[in-house]
Amino acid sequence: MSDVWIKDEDGPKVFTAGRLAWGAAAGEARRCRGFRPDDEDEWVADEPCSCYNCRYRRWTAQSFTCQKS
Amino acid sequence: MRILVCIDDTDNLESRGTGELASLLAEHLEVSGWGKASYVTRHQLLVHPDIPYTSHNSAMAFFAEISANFLPEFMTYAADFLTHESAEGSDPGLCIVEMGRLKSGSGLISFGVQCKQQVLTKAEAYAKARDLDIHLSEHGGTGQGVIGALAGAGLRLGGNDGRLKGQLRFDGKDSALSVAQLLAHPHVDAVRTEGGYHLLPIESVRLHDKVKSVLRGGESVLLVEPDTRGVAENCWKNLSRQQLKSY
Repeated sequence: MSDVWIKDEDGPKVFTAGRLAWGAAAGEARRCRGFRPDDEDEWVADEPCSCYNCRYRRWTAQSFTCQKS
Repeated sequence: MRILVCIDDTDNLESRGTGELASLLAEHLEVSGWGKASYVTRHQLLVHPDIPYTSHNSAMAFFAEISANFLPEFMTYAADFLTHESAEGSDPGLCIVEMGRLKSGSGLISFGVQCKQQVLTKAEAYAKARDLDIHLSEHGGTGQGVIGALAGAGLRLGGNDGRLKGQLRFDGKDSALSVAQLLAHPHVDAVRTEGGYHLLPIESVRLHDKVKSVLRGGESVLLVEPDTRGVAENCWKNLSRQQLKSY
């Protein structure tokens, strides 16, 4: 697990880089075997393959959690 | 008669999205010959630990002109549709506003704005719907989606929130189109910058990425910015998805 994630014992992984880390979110998605694009209307990143566009990301006030973790 | 329809919380992680269901509902209204639906808009609601949502907490809304005698049929259809088509584990809510009966447009709009800023309850949503004479119903799960459905209706009515569902398609994609050509699209009412400069009909816009419009001033607005890589003078380009994130 790269250093942009933290994980509580029972909870999902939290992306620590926030909501505007376009490069990091794209890089993580490229390395992720669980990436699956959300409905296009929910995409927010220009790069299609991005955690920000993944149906398993769940937005939080500061960032998102990964529901695949 | 004019109605405003909004649905929320119909999906789960694996299912089709609420936007698709809203489009299917609008489409059914038209193919049944009941009336004519507008475009669907997406409205972002509050993201908060106390709010149960699947992944993004957004509601989907559309206006429709419908023959009054078909309204009961449409309402029954919409309720059944949500009951049967919403995903397992979802908490779908349906809001249908008869615009002619709405007691206070500003009351509905303020509920929508409030819902983007604070956590509201089902009881508050039902009370507001009762006060304003709005149909609000739940169709599975906890029915928590009624809050977002009512809020989304308010935000759509306010006309200054959200993005249009889907993308705008033009024949001349990847080349510059004149503003007059863009305005000929049925879902483009205005072409302007975020700062409020309305482009002249003869100015040109280079279309790139997915072309999406936002709801501003009750209109579908294509937002643009100067195209610094453009070869022509005074050329513009549409804002990218990332730039539209906050809408």
